[in-house]
Amino acid sequence: MFDGFLDDLKRMNKRQFLYQVLSFGMIVSSALMIWKGLMVFTGSESPIVVVLSGSMEPAFHRGDLLFLTNYEEEPVRVGEIVVFKIEGRDIPIVHRVLKIHEKNNGTIKFLTKGDNNSVDDRGLYAPGQHWLEKSDMVGRARGFLPYVGMVTILMNEYPKIKFAVLACLGLYVLVHRE
Amino acid sequence: MTKEESNTDDKQIKINKWDYLALKNTLDDAVKEVLITKYNHVEDYSLIDCRLFICTFAVLVAAFALGWDFFNPFPKSRFVLTVCVALYFITMGAITLYTTYMEKGIFAVTLERDESGFNPDVVWEASSYIKKHTGTYCLTVVRKDSVGGDIREREITKSVANYFDEEGTLCQDVIENEVTKVREAVLKLKKIE
Repeated sequence: MFDGFLDDLKRMNKRQFLYQVLSFGMIVSSALMIWKGLMVFTGSESPIVVVLSGSMEPAFHRGDLLFLTNYEEEPVRVGEIVVFKIEGRDIPIVHRVLKIHEKNNGTIKFLTKGDNNSVDDRGLYAPGQHWLEKSDMVGRARGFLPYVGMVTILMNEYPKIKFAVLACLGLYVLVHRE
Repeated sequence: MTKEESNTDDKQIKINKWDYLALKNTLDDAVKEVLITKYNHVEDYSLIDCRLFICTFAVLVAAFALGWDFFNPFPKSRFVLTVCVALYFITMGAITLYTTYMEKGIFAVTLERDESGFNPDVVWEASSYIKKHTGTYCLTVVRKDSVGGDIREREITKSVANYFDEEGTLCQDVIENEVTKVREAVLKLKKIE
């Protein structure tokens, strides 16, 4: 059975092959456009994130999936859980707002801390940075799904699994005629 | 059909006979092949080209959104992204509508040239589907003659087992006979036995 695996592909004419490539492209672009649509809808550059550490236990555990929104008109308040980026770090952090300073013109500066950490986040910020600003924020947590993110964590820790899964799926879609 | 006969054909096609999409695609290709090689029809690609065009457009829209977002990171790209996302999903809807209402399972449109070059081409459309879980292949052949608006249609429904041997090798002569039969039936508008 396996030697007949590429036969489908060989028998295709030019147009059928082009359609095969396009349907593969459309699967990829549908996923991409759903993600971009979520970005536009939630206002956050990364509307879904996975919790990677235990620093927010018992609120969130490693592997929880968080849904974020980042609407301009909603002010940040103490006690809310926000996701923010720090210069020089690739991975955004999910922590709770501890202190906030707000000016009349709406600009804010805030300090965060992980529920499970004993000190605030100043040590995590970029050198010389004492406060976070609105532009550092990726979004605030609106909902979560437990455990689902474990798949992502596994794939990131063992990139070989990720590439194997992606390669298999891609090959299947490309070779298997619709 | 005996195996020796189909073995004489050096480009025999063997497929996984449990894969019903493979069955359908193979039969469709074989039917088209007969129409083109045996009856010298010319294939008309406009139906499939139109679908390819819509698909290409959708992929280009997505690629553009990706590129734009890369060079103008998110909050700046918001308006362009909104437009692209809307356009993409409208295009996807258009593809669905196109395949459901325009293509309707038509896998081949071929033109029968009038030898005198006096009359316009006669259009033959072949469409097919396999009923799930039954293994019957339903082939519909439509002949459209623009002279007098003559539209004739004949359908043939047979189990896929008629066209393949036990190992899943396509019996090209059987499919050729069937297509010939349908074609005759369309021309004479008589019943298919």
